Amino acid sequence: MDIFTLGLWVIAIVLLIISLIKDKNKTFGSLKKAKSMMGGMAGSIFGILLLIGLILAFIPPSYIESVLGSANEVMGTFIGAIIGAITLIPAFVAFPLAGSFVDAGASLVTAAAFVTTLTMVGFVTFPLEKEQFGAKFAFWRNALSFVFAIIIALGMGLVL
Amino acid sequence: MISIMKKNKILTFSLLTYVVLYFTMPEISSRAISQSTYYIKEMFMIMPIVLIISALIETWVPRETIIKTFGKKSGLKGPIFSFLLGSLSAGPIYAAFPVCTTLYKKGAKVSNIVIILSSWAVIKVPMLINEYRFLGGDFMLYRWIFTVVAIIALAFIMEKVIIKGELPVKQDISKENEKTLKVDCNLCVDCSLCAKECPSYFHMEDGCAKVKKDILNLEEVNLVSKAIKKCPVNAISAD
Repeated sequence: MDIFTLGLWVIAIVLLIISLIKDKNKTFGSLKKAKSMMGGMAGSIFGILLLIGLILAFIPPSYIESVLGSANEVMGTFIGAIIGAITLIPAFVAFPLAGSFVDAGASLVTAAAFVTTLTMVGFVTFPLEKEQFGAKFAFWRNALSFVFAIIIALGMGLVL
Repeated sequence: MISIMKKNKILTFSLLTYVVLYFTMPEISSRAISQSTYYIKEMFMIMPIVLIISALIETWVPRETIIKTFGKKSGLKGPIFSFLLGSLSAGPIYAAFPVCTTLYKKGAKVSNIVIILSSWAVIKVPMLINEYRFLGGDFMLYRWIFTVVAIIALAFIMEKVIIKGELPVKQDISKENEKTLKVDCNLCVDCSLCAKECPSYFHMEDGCAKVKKDILNLEEVNLVSKAIKKCPVNAISAD
């Protein structure tokens, strides 16, 4: 475990103890809520983590690197952004998924595009958003988010 | 069994593939397992922190108070409140829709609604921890900065595109004549009075009363109101 993760553990535990001292019942209540939320996602979390292994075992890193690697940044960014926009997986597992592709040779720009559109653009939740805020709002918010996700990704390419 | 498999499509698919691989291509399956084990270990290291931080935010961030005072905030405070509300809230983006509708009805600006929706989706605090773990601190930090700037720009453009009053915020007409019947299993003492009073609406299961039908019209609400009154711990609600 690296020092930063260890630090996070210490911070989380200290804050938890303070919270328990201040209001035991309320803290336990929200812990229970958080646990059941995670419990609901556990199936898809494990599913995706197991899928990562399968993908990496089947698709050779050299192939991932040639399609999504830094030699092919613009193309990779578009692919990442489009896949992110149409898939609906919990953001929670998007990071290990993106991380595994980066480990296998995909560019960080591609990963940024994927993670950003995955969370910000909702192809699947579009009907729901349209129903709540109207077609014009939903269309513009999603379309602009997609464009901005690509700008964010390309900006990441400049600084990283 | 089938419903569990349907609910966890990805998990079922992965497990089945592993089983098939184990018999047909054992060396690939062992490579896949060792890859997955690495990520599962990483996940276990970070998951409890994310869980604790989410729970602490839930306990100590007074979301109701933020929503209540929101409409009156103007100037810079509105956007800052929106960012805080979005990044400190739990739940998927569709959980943000009703919150935004409430705020919009209270007079929040379109730009602030956009900030809440976008920050709710992209820059949530527990997620940042996860992002750091799997993609690195630099990646997390830079993406956060870029995203905040992008969200501000997005909000500005949306404010210009959408004219105030143009959002057809639904007034929930359907809900006025409908009530949702619920039993709080944390309160229920398994006395079964409700099931005896209204057997067509309640039944007992695993130590708690369960509703047989959850959306009721006004007539049905009158019918179950007897059961609601009889409940010794006020665990039943219809609203």
